Amino acid sequence: MILARLALRNLLRQRRRTALTLLVVVAGFLALSLAGGFMAQTFQGLSDGAIRGGLGHLQILPPGALDGDEAQSLEKALPDGEALAATLRRDPAVAEVLPRIQFMGLLSNGPRSVAFLGTAVDPVLEPRHMATAEALKDGAKAPGGAGSRWLAAAPAAREVLLGVGLARAMGATVGSSLTLMSTTRDGALNAVDVEVVGLQDLGLRELNDRFLTVGLGTAAQLLDAGPARSRLSVVLKRPGTVEAEQARLQALLPGTTVKPWFELASFYRQVKLLYFAIFGFMGLVLFLVVLLATANTLLMSVLERVREFGVLRAMGLQPRQLLVLLQWEGAFLGLLGSALGLAATLVLRAGLNALHLQMPAPPGTSHGYELNIHLVPAVYLLVALGLQATLQISALFPGLKAARLRIVEALRHV
Amino acid sequence: MLELRAITRAYELGGERAGVFGVSLSVPKGCLAVLAGPSGSGKTTLLQLAGLLDTPDEGEVLLDDQPVSALPEVARCDLRLRRLGFVFQAANLVPVLSALENVMLPLQLQGLPEAEARRRAEAALARVGLADRLHHRPGQLSGGQQQRTAIARALAPEPLLVLADEPTAALDHAHGGPLMDLLAELAAERGVTFLVASHDPAVIARAHCVFRLQDGRLQAEDTP
Repeated sequence: MILARLALRNLLRQRRRTALTLLVVVAGFLALSLAGGFMAQTFQGLSDGAIRGGLGHLQILPPGALDGDEAQSLEKALPDGEALAATLRRDPAVAEVLPRIQFMGLLSNGPRSVAFLGTAVDPVLEPRHMATAEALKDGAKAPGGAGSRWLAAAPAAREVLLGVGLARAMGATVGSSLTLMSTTRDGALNAVDVEVVGLQDLGLRELNDRFLTVGLGTAAQLLDAGPARSRLSVVLKRPGTVEAEQARLQALLPGTTVKPWFELASFYRQVKLLYFAIFGFMGLVLFLVVLLATANTLLMSVLERVREFGVLRAMGLQPRQLLVLLQWEGAFLGLLGSALGLAATLVLRAGLNALHLQMPAPPGTSHGYELNIHLVPAVYLLVALGLQATLQISALFPGLKAARLRIVEALRHV
Repeated sequence: MLELRAITRAYELGGERAGVFGVSLSVPKGCLAVLAGPSGSGKTTLLQLAGLLDTPDEGEVLLDDQPVSALPEVARCDLRLRRLGFVFQAANLVPVLSALENVMLPLQLQGLPEAEARRRAEAALARVGLADRLHHRPGQLSGGQQQRTAIARALAPEPLLVLADEPTAALDHAHGGPLMDLLAELAAERGVTFLVASHDPAVIARAHCVFRLQDGRLQAEDTP
C-alpha cells in the first residue's frame, strides 16, 4: 500500500496538472455516458413503438410467411387462428393474444381508387395493448381528422381508420363513406362499404400514405376469411422472457413459426446498427483522446521525477515496483475521474431532461420527440471500466520508461 | 565486511577515458572509511559500484565474503533494500512525504507492518536529533535537517553498510562537522560500516581509514 500512498501524494503534488487530466477523463465519461443514455432512450422508444405498434412481444405466423410476398390476401394464413389464439390465452406466460389479418386491395370513393395495405384487428383488445390511441390522437390534428375515434366493438360495424396520407389522397375526412375492394380467399372480387371514423398518424410517411385499419369482422366479410388469421401478436406477462418464451412456444406449436419482435422490426435493427456504428466510432475517438492526454501527463510527471526514481531504485525499489507505482497513479486518475464524471453526468442529465427539449423528427418519421436521456447504470459501469483500462494502458509507457532508468544516470539527472 | 577486488569500470567523459581501474580495497565491519581524492578521481564511481548501483566491467564486489556484483538485478535490489543504506550529496528525500514517512519508506518496502516501521523510524529520527520534526515535509527542513533525515532513512533498516557520497558538500562547516561526528558515533555504537566519498578535510579527519584515489586508481591507504 506504500506505493499506492506514494502515487496519491504524487498526484496531489501537481494539483493543476492532475486537475486538467481529470477534466479530460470527466469530459470523456460525460460524453460517453450521455450518449449511452440517449441511445437507450432511442432504443427504448423504437422497441416500444415496434411492440406496441402491433408486433407484440412474439408473433405466431403461418409456415413460410416470411419467405415471400402473398399473391392475394390470406394466401399464407393460420387456418384456425381464432382457436389458436383462444388456446394461447390460457398459457400462464401469455397476457393477451391479438389476432390480425393483413390484407390489401383498393380503396374507392367512386371516381377515385387508391391501393391500400390493411390490417384488421380486434377492436376491443387492440387499444388495451397497442399504441393505437396515440396514432389516433395525432391523426385527429390532421386536416379532416377532427372527431377521430377508435373502431366500434360490434362485429357488425363496418368502420375504417385511415392513414392521414391515404385520407388526403382520397379526399376523405372523418364521416366519409368509402368502399374497400379486395379478393376473397377463393380469388373472387368482393367489396364492403365502410365509414371513416378516424385518421391515424403512424409516424412514418410511407405508412400514412397506404395504411388503413379495420375491425376483424369487416375484414372477415371482405375476405371471406372465416376463422383464418394472418398472424397472432402475443403480449407476454414478463417482457424480459421473450427469447425463452419464443423457444417454448415454438416447441408447443410445431406447425407455426414463432418470431420475437426484434427479428421482425427491421427499422429498429437498422437504427440500432447505425447508432452502434456512430457512437462506437465516437467512443473510440474519445478513448484515444483520453489515452493520449493522460499518457502525456504521466510521462511529463515521470520526466520530472527521474532523480527521485533513481533514489527509490537505489533504496531497493524493484523496476516492476516503479511500474506498479505508475499504474497506481493511472488507477487513481481513472477512479477519481469516473466518480466525478458520474456526478457530472447525473447533474447534466437531470438538467437536460428538465429543459423538455424537443428533438427533430428522425429520418423517415413524421414527428419529433422529447429528449429524455435515460439513466443506464450498465453504461456508466462500462464507460468507467473502459476509461479505467485506458488509464492503465496510458500509465504503461511512462511506467516502463521509469522502470528502465539506469540508477547512476537517474541520480545524476538535474 | 566490504571487499573490492580489482574493480574496473570505464566510461567516456568529454572524449577521455574515465572511471576506476583495478581498484582493490577492504573495509572491515564497523569502520568509517573515506574515499578521498579530487573531483574526477573516481570516488563516486567506486561508491556506486560498492553500493551495487552499477556493475563493474571487471573485478568483484564482496559483501561478507559473498560475491554480489554479478547477481541479477532483483537480488541486487533486495540486497540494497535490506543490507545497504545510501546518503547522497543532496538529501534526495521524497518531497511529498514527511520526514517520518521518508524514513518509514524503506522499512515499508521491506514489508514491515506500519506500526513497527513507524516505531523504528521515530527512533532513527530521534537518534539524529529530529524527534520534533517528524511531520515536517523536506521543504520545511533546513539543509542539515534534511541530511540528518537522509541518514536516519539509511540507518533505520539496520544495514550492514552505509554508502555516503559527499554528505557534507551541501552543508556549511558548522553543520558538516557535527554530521560527521554523528556518523562516527553511529559506526561505533551500532557496528555499521560506512564508506564515505569526500574531499572535505573535516570528513577525512574523522575517518578510521582513508583510501586515496587519483585518476581512477588507488594511490594510498591511510589509517589516521
